[in-house]
Amino acid sequence: MSPVLEMRSISKAFTAVKALDQVDFDCRAGEVHVICGENGAGKSTLMKVLGGSYRPDEGEIRLDGAPVRFQHPREARAAGISIVHQELSLLPFRSVAENIFTGMEPTRWGLLDRRQMDERARALLQRLGSSIPTGAQVADLSIAEQQLVEIAKAMLLDAKVLVMDEPTAALDDRDAHALLRLISRMKAEGVAIIYISHRMPEVMAIADRITVLKDGRLVWTRDRQDATVNAIVTAMVGRELQDFYPARAATEPGQSVLQIRGAGNRHLRDIDMVARAGEIVGIAGLEDSGKGALAQALFGDQPFTQGEVEIGGKPVVLHSPRQAIAAGVGYLPGDRKREGIVPRQSVRDNALLTLQAMAAVLSLPNAGVRSVAEADRNLRTMDVRAGDFGQEIATLSGGNQQKAIIARWLMQNPDLFVFVEPTRGIDVAAKAAIYETMRALANEGRAIVMISSDLPEIVGVSDRILVMHQGRIAGELPGGAEEGAVMQLALGVTGNAAEREMV
Amino acid sequence: MTVLLNAVRPTRRRTAWLSVNLALVIFVVLYGVIAILQPNYLDAALFMNFLRRAAPLIILACGQLFVILSGGFDLSMGAVVTLVVLAASMLIGGDPDMTWTVIAILYAMGLAVGLANGLIVSFLKVPSIIATLGTMLLVNGLALAWSGGAPRGDLPDNFRNLGRLVLKDVPLVGSLPIAVVILVVVTLLAWWGLHATAYGKRLLAVGDNPRAAELAGVPVKPTRISAFVVSALSAVTAGILIGGFSGVSVNAGRGLELQAIAACVIGGAQLLGGRGTIVGALFGALSLFALFTLLNLLGLPQALRDSLQGLILIAAVGVTVLRYRRST
Repeated sequence: MSPVLEMRSISKAFTAVKALDQVDFDCRAGEVHVICGENGAGKSTLMKVLGGSYRPDEGEIRLDGAPVRFQHPREARAAGISIVHQELSLLPFRSVAENIFTGMEPTRWGLLDRRQMDERARALLQRLGSSIPTGAQVADLSIAEQQLVEIAKAMLLDAKVLVMDEPTAALDDRDAHALLRLISRMKAEGVAIIYISHRMPEVMAIADRITVLKDGRLVWTRDRQDATVNAIVTAMVGRELQDFYPARAATEPGQSVLQIRGAGNRHLRDIDMVARAGEIVGIAGLEDSGKGALAQALFGDQPFTQGEVEIGGKPVVLHSPRQAIAAGVGYLPGDRKREGIVPRQSVRDNALLTLQAMAAVLSLPNAGVRSVAEADRNLRTMDVRAGDFGQEIATLSGGNQQKAIIARWLMQNPDLFVFVEPTRGIDVAAKAAIYETMRALANEGRAIVMISSDLPEIVGVSDRILVMHQGRIAGELPGGAEEGAVMQLALGVTGNAAEREMV
Repeated sequence: MTVLLNAVRPTRRRTAWLSVNLALVIFVVLYGVIAILQPNYLDAALFMNFLRRAAPLIILACGQLFVILSGGFDLSMGAVVTLVVLAASMLIGGDPDMTWTVIAILYAMGLAVGLANGLIVSFLKVPSIIATLGTMLLVNGLALAWSGGAPRGDLPDNFRNLGRLVLKDVPLVGSLPIAVVILVVVTLLAWWGLHATAYGKRLLAVGDNPRAAELAGVPVKPTRISAFVVSALSAVTAGILIGGFSGVSVNAGRGLELQAIAACVIGGAQLLGGRGTIVGALFGALSLFALFTLLNLLGLPQALRDSLQGLILIAAVGVTVLRYRRST
């Protein structure tokens, strides 16, 4: 049977980065084709090319054998390609029927034909095996029901190809099962389904074929019976290790600086962990695994609601960043632009900000000349390249901004340093400098907790690796562990998280 | 390539100065034109008188600048001025012994309005432009209702002297209005608060990127609230001066909040926060007041004055936006 959709040699570059490099992909009617890959492997870019959001630099898309070029998502929709995004795109204060028909409302003599709209919406939802009332307001529905409305919206146009981007990420097990049953039903109707997911058990349960992408390239496409979880994981992570990670500490780590017992909140459960003086603890996990929530909890930004935290042997309450700073925690945020820099202030003021924030309110802004000199010295230690530390920090490169924020924390001399995605979006040279700084900070007797989505970084820099899955710590690995082992824990296919995963 | 970079860098750094210089240049040009039309404006005494009349606007601009730097607007300033003028006349009732007590009460009222603005913005997360529009209407309405629309009572001389009295035969300057002394003290205080304390740096950080400021340990809410308090207290001060030399009127504060915002913007402050100086606000306010004076001398009708102020405001914001766009 010839495929409904064929994508041939698709390439797409953003400035210097090749997000997609000669990727071939196809999908047949009545088939579920799963795409796997790490964050940044190119899955979303490929789907955005398919959906008309991006135009490919090279390559060809064929629908039912005929070449198509989409200038706009609307054209892709009209041609029968529907995408259900991870973030739903419904209008919360309109009814189910109104949402399904958004943009293509049936009319009668120029007026909205509500009766027809309701009837067709009801028929459509029935076909999907649901009895949501068509007049209900979308905001009142559960996430699973909203997803169903989104799918109904896609089906309204008799979608030939339905793309679902991590649809079960926000669902509990029962709803996820219902969704998978729904997918089988649509499959039986002859829809070609492209399904993006990280959850290995569900991938193995519903896939007919599996494609793995890595760094913008196609690794392989196989039938489900020819693929194993191990093969998928290996294909997802297999890459050469770069050798710019600094040597690990020769000495044993010292006393515990951070101790967490039984802590949790809305996103985290049963967190027990220790970070000792002189060690770098890497926290790995997928996007929704809770690793970001753990960093925020450690810094009092999204506090723990239960459990105990000790820093330097003393119990502490971390209900705000100020309390965390006072308790001796430093924090390098993951989103430099949004959470790190104050862009229109000088490099020096950025380095002095936490000092100023914690100083008496009417004290001299720089606590005298001494601290200006100290800030400049720290900026120089961090090798921040700026013509003048008085210039606006927004004019510096990402790597230099990151170093300036580290310099800010050096002024505070924290005992525990939380680094979130410390090298995201910065160049290789600055990366190496930041790794060396982290190691140097650890060697001076601080404990470092590094949250990262970058597997080579986790494996290359950490002394110990904690892997998170669904809000828990799924397991611990030594530094230098195999990337595949980390990935397996992160995916929930090994370790104590496996039995909770649905099959 | 290096040559190009070196050529680019100094101009970038000059932009910060340019914003101050722009307001200074506008002021000097406008005052120059005034002096050509009325040469006695160059006398020290007349210049002092000019400063005296400009003092309330400058003080309002200094207070408004705190809120603008924190990323907001304070539209309630003019209403606070009206409240102060009306409340002073009602409470003092012509009794000079009451003056200082009443002034304390006026500052307490200002504090209450400022706290209300700040708390609404910080905790209810209402955009400041809406929140202070609400308090503006509320305060204005209360003040008018209280005075019954036709204020009774007169302000005693010792109150009015704060805005009106001119000290004669002062060394160096000749004549010295009390209002100018108050102006200098307030401006220095504002300069100190903004440019010589950790508080000022926090305020700039909050206006520039509140999320980053919070994660750097800045107490974002108290900082924001205090900016509204400073603004309201400066409005009380301006109101006392205005009551002093203009007397009691139900229109005392009308439109002043917009003039204060315009002054800050002409002085190079960036709307929505993070950039601006007291010196800029000072010269912005002086420029605006010089413009009003000039229009009076030219005999243009009052209505045109508002239109021109609007034009200048739009031009100033336009220049700021263009400059910002060029620098990124």
